[in-house]
Amino acid sequence: MGRIKTLALLEMAAAVENSDNRARTIAAANAGELAAFESLMRQHERLVLVTAVRLLGKLEDAQDASQEVFLRLYRNLGKIDAVENVPGWLYRITVNVCHDMTRKRPASVAMETLPELAASGADPQQSATQRERRRALQMSLRFLSEKERAAMVLRDLEGLSTEEVARVLGSSEATVRSQISKARIKVRAFLERYFRSKI
Amino acid sequence: MNCQEWEERIALYAAGDTGAADAGETERHIAGCAECRVFWSGMKQSLEWLREAHQEEIAPAHYAAVRARVMAQLERGRAPWWKQVWVYGVGMAAAVTVAAMTMAVRPHANVPPSAAVKPAGVAIAADAGRGAGRRPGGLPHYGPGRRHRLLHHQPETLLVKLETDNPDVVIYWIAEKKGD
Repeated sequence: MGRIKTLALLEMAAAVENSDNRARTIAAANAGELAAFESLMRQHERLVLVTAVRLLGKLEDAQDASQEVFLRLYRNLGKIDAVENVPGWLYRITVNVCHDMTRKRPASVAMETLPELAASGADPQQSATQRERRRALQMSLRFLSEKERAAMVLRDLEGLSTEEVARVLGSSEATVRSQISKARIKVRAFLERYFRSKI
Repeated sequence: MNCQEWEERIALYAAGDTGAADAGETERHIAGCAECRVFWSGMKQSLEWLREAHQEEIAPAHYAAVRARVMAQLERGRAPWWKQVWVYGVGMAAAVTVAAMTMAVRPHANVPPSAAVKPAGVAIAADAGRGAGRRPGGLPHYGPGRRHRLLHHQPETLLVKLETDNPDVVIYWIAEKKGD
């Protein structure tokens, strides 16, 4: 019992220390230390790039979006209130930047991304099936509205709660639930039609 | 409620997005409705595929590329003072040149009558000793030919655009050339 309590206390202490470290990194980056900003980027780069890939479907576009997101982060470091807000802020800006890019650029088929993200070392037959599925899924996401796609990516792929998604998208939870359910229904219907037509 | 109306609830139920009461009701409906059972199973399958398809990690090189681009852009914007100062130096030089040109075009416009600025005899003597081209009191002196030419100048706007290596820094200087 005593050991469990000690472990819990150690975990809490580590969390506080991590939070302190992150706060120090943000403060240093805000003071103009580029090394601190690079460290901040490393902490959050996965969140930004993966979300952008999921929203845009193309790695090159996602890299452009990520670059813009981090430049905005640099410019707005002083305006972000707390350490805990950084991921939420980044999700929101990533979604906004991706939406802007989607509006500005003509829709491109996301096939180029697939080989780079494909699982390696798998059975060729299995790989081909996975690639086919991934292609169908990428295409299905294109049939969703901006908000539906963002809600689905954040909830079903990024694993945010409905409440968190609502906060990121600036909507109510009821709206987000409706967007998520519509998106899931559309994706399911697309996959059904796609694989039926392939047979 | 028909089965189409159940679809939205099943879509939420499939990933645990319904409350306990709604979940129980949905489960009961699925258990008693073959069509909704098929829909539910397809929904679970598509969500599973969706998650599987996005499990692969992006290669570290792609993250590094983004980082490098961001850092390069930030470093470009924060060049040391000795790399940036020439921009302001050139700007100042251009401003001074344009100001001098403007003054040269209208040298007598604001010059009070020479009698009014003429200093005491000692000062005149001192100025005269410094050589030709200077007026008493340190004012520039232009020969009659030069003055004649300037008097016939038509008013025109002078625009100097100075482009620098930094595309964000362009210096404009607008001045009006006037004759007397």
